Amino acid sequence: MIFRKASYASVMALTLSLSFNAFAVEEGDDAPAFSLPSIKQGQPDISMDALKGKTIFVDFWASWCAPCLKSLPLYNDMYHKYKDQGLEIIAINVDNPVEDGLDFLIDTPLDFLIPSDPDGETAELFQVIGMPTSYLVSPGGKVELVHMGFRTGDMAIIEEAIEKVLAIN
Amino acid sequence: MKIIRIFLFCYLSLSMLAACTQVRPWERGLLAKEEMAWSTDPLESSLNDHIFFSKEASSGGSSAAGGGCGCN
Repeated sequence: MIFRKASYASVMALTLSLSFNAFAVEEGDDAPAFSLPSIKQGQPDISMDALKGKTIFVDFWASWCAPCLKSLPLYNDMYHKYKDQGLEIIAINVDNPVEDGLDFLIDTPLDFLIPSDPDGETAELFQVIGMPTSYLVSPGGKVELVHMGFRTGDMAIIEEAIEKVLAIN
Repeated sequence: MKIIRIFLFCYLSLSMLAACTQVRPWERGLLAKEEMAWSTDPLESSLNDHIFFSKEASSGGSSAAGGGCGCN
């Protein structure tokens, strides 16, 4: 009887510890603070704290992720459209080796901040649920939108959320 | 005390099952490589997926191409 109870409890505990998505950052949560080195050598570290008071769009991407590569040039246009209103974009690259991400950036120059997270420490912090996943963070530090995956039509959803946050703040 | 010991034994035994390891979304770089797919021909692969889905009423799991988010 004791063995059966303990077995059930251990299976439940194991299931809970493996279902990491249960702890993923969601809308309404405080955005985790992080500090990462820039993917470009010689550039300063990129941190959430340094951008306090701004509306921040955090995106996780990798060179092996086809929808990520589709989204980034569109995010670059979005950055130029809203940067004067206080939008910052942090596109965290999770490529390991980092050179894979840099190769993509040679052909596709992007103007926003691109930190490198080859060990996935910040991705772990956000408990990223898929690639790509993006988070819209208000100047108050709250997550206003979590967006997973990317299709062309998704830009309208993302820009609508950004405009809403920019209008309030 | 005994139940805790049995609990720990069961938990540690189960946690050593390799099949329970999850590959995190950001760690799928190697799995997304072309040579990791069962078929390198995307057309053949999508046809096989379609046939498999029609016969088995389930899909996915064949490769992580497209980023592994399951949305594209």
